[in-house]
Amino acid sequence: MSATLPRRRASELGLGILAVIVAAFGYLLVQLAQKPDVPPDLWVILASVLALFIGAHVAVRRLAPDSDPVLLPLAALLNGLGFVTVARIDPGLGRIQAVWTAVSVAAFVLTLLFVRRIRTLERYRYTFLFVGMVALLLPLAPGLGKTINGARLWVGIGPVNFQPGEAAKVMLVLFFAAYLVDKRELLARGTRRIGGLRIPELRHLGPLLLAWGISILVMVRETDLGQAMLLFALCGLMLYVATDRIAYVLAAVVLFVGASVVAYSAFGHVQTRVQTWIDPFRYANNKGYQLVQGLFGFAAGGFAGTGLGLGNPKQIPNAATDFVFAAVGEELGLLGAVAVLIALLLIVGAGLRIATRAERPFPKLFATGLTAIIALQSFVIIGGVTRTIPLTGVTLPFISYGGSSLVANWVILALLLRMSDDNARGAPNRRSTVAARAP
Amino acid sequence: MPESVLTVLKYCFLALVYLFLFRVVQVVIRELRAPASDEAGDGRRDRRGRRDVRLRILEPESHEGELYPLGEEITVGRGGGCGIVLPDDSFVSTVHARLFRRGNEVFVEDLGSRNGTFLNGDPVSTATRLRRGDRVQFGQTVAEVVR
Repeated sequence: MSATLPRRRASELGLGILAVIVAAFGYLLVQLAQKPDVPPDLWVILASVLALFIGAHVAVRRLAPDSDPVLLPLAALLNGLGFVTVARIDPGLGRIQAVWTAVSVAAFVLTLLFVRRIRTLERYRYTFLFVGMVALLLPLAPGLGKTINGARLWVGIGPVNFQPGEAAKVMLVLFFAAYLVDKRELLARGTRRIGGLRIPELRHLGPLLLAWGISILVMVRETDLGQAMLLFALCGLMLYVATDRIAYVLAAVVLFVGASVVAYSAFGHVQTRVQTWIDPFRYANNKGYQLVQGLFGFAAGGFAGTGLGLGNPKQIPNAATDFVFAAVGEELGLLGAVAVLIALLLIVGAGLRIATRAERPFPKLFATGLTAIIALQSFVIIGGVTRTIPLTGVTLPFISYGGSSLVANWVILALLLRMSDDNARGAPNRRSTVAARAP
Repeated sequence: MPESVLTVLKYCFLALVYLFLFRVVQVVIRELRAPASDEAGDGRRDRRGRRDVRLRILEPESHEGELYPLGEEITVGRGGGCGIVLPDDSFVSTVHARLFRRGNEVFVEDLGSRNGTFLNGDPVSTATRLRRGDRVQFGQTVAEVVR
């Protein structure tokens, strides 16, 4: 189309190859730390990572040629870094993560292939709401659901376990975006007066509150407060973005504080989380063990880290999932941890850039919501691991071990690229009718 | 493998990661300098290089697709002196509304018309900013803001 097309894709290719080299180099370093020779499977790893990236890149070239050039390489870097860290902590998990990465890239390509127009998704909002709800409820189903680490979040089919909640998040954001685009005028203004406050009719707010309430209830039943918190924040944020009314943020904060108090008094593990957050060292040998080991990891890492393969991240329980950031901090130090933060910030920046450049309200809101999933999730887990906020277990996007989360993040990436591509092209059908009828 | 070599390699690795991030930031800056949206297409701009805003009639069907460039200021009405004349809409006042530009923004203002001017279905009481894709209604005539 435009002159910027080859340039964007050329940047993407160049950056992506650099990301692949970083991942392969990291893998090499881990192996060198154990024995002095170049591992025999290095070339296999390099070739397969390169093949995966090139596959995704070619798909973008064909299916979304005008889209943002930095998202795919950034995801490739984080995914590569994550794979290196996970494989270093547990080679077995590393192999599974490699398979999930391939599945994720396939999901990425399929999303680009099937979602040709983002407006099609808007039309099926209630379908996605329904499917999202079912996905949330699925782990509670007897026989299907599985409890791992005290949270009933998993669904097991044969040998494969996955968390349908990860996909549900994306679908609920889609529903919220489509619904809010329809009703934002009504929600922004409000018609009913209570005291000095104008609030919208309950029937406009109803479906939203219902969707939100059920999902939070379900998550609390599954004792996954991290996800519940995430969904809550997501919904409040999207309401604010759609209506531009700060009152929704204040209401969300009040509700959040209320919910926190209830959760604190009702759930023992919430109390534990708060206690270990305030004073982890007092519980260093029991409740706070994980958090303290994570902090020790960061301390051992210092400025530049112990070097890949040279630290002791296996000391930290769940180092490959929730505490992967601590493992990065230990072996790559402050420099490595900050690099991960910068990469995540650049992804969020790219997502918000897509949102601001979107012309229609639906992609604007949808891109904001999808970006917020990545941003909030990163904040919640990095904040938890570094003791900025109480710890709640969610995955670090693209880095943590976990198939469902990885697939969901790559699908989010594909959807963002689809909207980015639409932005760059403008609205083609509208433009052609204008051109045809211009005097 | 001696530890010193591994340390050197570690710094090489971190340098490579930051080189990557630096290159990404360079691309982002380039993206921000050259606004992406429709560089290829309807590059109609006025003398000062601002993109021209136009009004496209959607209803009634007999006038659908007619395009009116707005320029600095234009009046809409049934009277012949208006910039956009809508002679066959009896719900439109003689001088019905005014569209004008302030800086990069375009506003619509009702000029005391009998049946009012509506922006996306809401009555326009003061000068209101128009955005691309907005629907403006004068009488029974509906128009869309396009670039």
